[in-house]
Amino acid sequence: MTKDIEDGPAMDAERFAALAEAYGGDLRRWPEAEREAAAAFAPSEAGQAISRHAGTLDTLLDSYSVQPPGKALHGSILRVADRHLVQRRRQRFWWLGLGLAGIGLAGAVAGLALVTVVTPEAQPDHYVLDANATAFGDAGPDSDTIEEDL
Amino acid sequence: MSADPDEELVRRVGAGDPAAVRTLVARKLPRILSLAVRMLGDAAEAEDVAQETFVRIWRHASSWRRGNARFDTWIHRVTLNLCYDRLRRRREWVTNDLPDVVDPAPLPDSREETHRVERALQAIAPRQREAIILVYYQEMSNIEAAATLEISVDALESLLSRGRRALQAILARDSVHD
Repeated sequence: MTKDIEDGPAMDAERFAALAEAYGGDLRRWPEAEREAAAAFAPSEAGQAISRHAGTLDTLLDSYSVQPPGKALHGSILRVADRHLVQRRRQRFWWLGLGLAGIGLAGAVAGLALVTVVTPEAQPDHYVLDANATAFGDAGPDSDTIEEDL
Repeated sequence: MSADPDEELVRRVGAGDPAAVRTLVARKLPRILSLAVRMLGDAAEAEDVAQETFVRIWRHASSWRRGNARFDTWIHRVTLNLCYDRLRRRREWVTNDLPDVVDPAPLPDSREETHRVERALQAIAPRQREAIILVYYQEMSNIEAAATLEISVDALESLLSRGRRALQAILARDSVHD
């Protein structure tokens, strides 16, 4: 429906009437691309008749005004907004706390892992040194030697 | 696409700036309310819709990113959807006739005219009503209105033409009855 802007939109009585039927008689509501051509056509006899006809409904539509928002509605919307802001702030603090706790936990785990890797392996609990054990091994009587002595 | 005049304000609202919240309410509440009043023809219901629209704005402001639509287009879409929910509940869209019950109290001339147009608007198909309200009362361009309704500009023009013809017929019939 919209004409080629580069070539300059063509405007005749038929197109002017179609646009007036859709957008009314006020050219400010018309598609931007066609406004200039429409303004050039509007002073013609056909243009004036079409605009007059469309203007009748426009005048009636203009008469339907709406009361602006009252203070009560305005205040109520702002109160709800405040509640949302407070809630969001609390959520942010909560997430921040959770984040810090997470970082702390991650640090503890990393520390534990580091300690495990760096510390030498401990002696097993079940290994009991007895009186015969030396740095060179068991210094108790050699069973083979005892047999030879017999 | 041209810059969105509301983008910075919405970003500040999302960051929890109370001054930005007040500015946004002052800037958008009259537009949202007038849209809802004209869609529903009921001031009290329209106020509820306006409140619900703002609750959605507060919820989504921090995550709102401009995609294909401006913020103003988005809030119009939200308001219209809320209006549709209420219209569905009322089952209004099955009728194209004027309401049977007419307020018998005499109204001042200007008020009577407003009332006639209000009734006529409520009597046309909701999609035609939406198109007329967006272009005529919300002063949206054809491209913005088509984007809000998620239709082509040609489809918008068709809705506008049919809507205006229907309004003319109803208002003419109404004036004959008077």
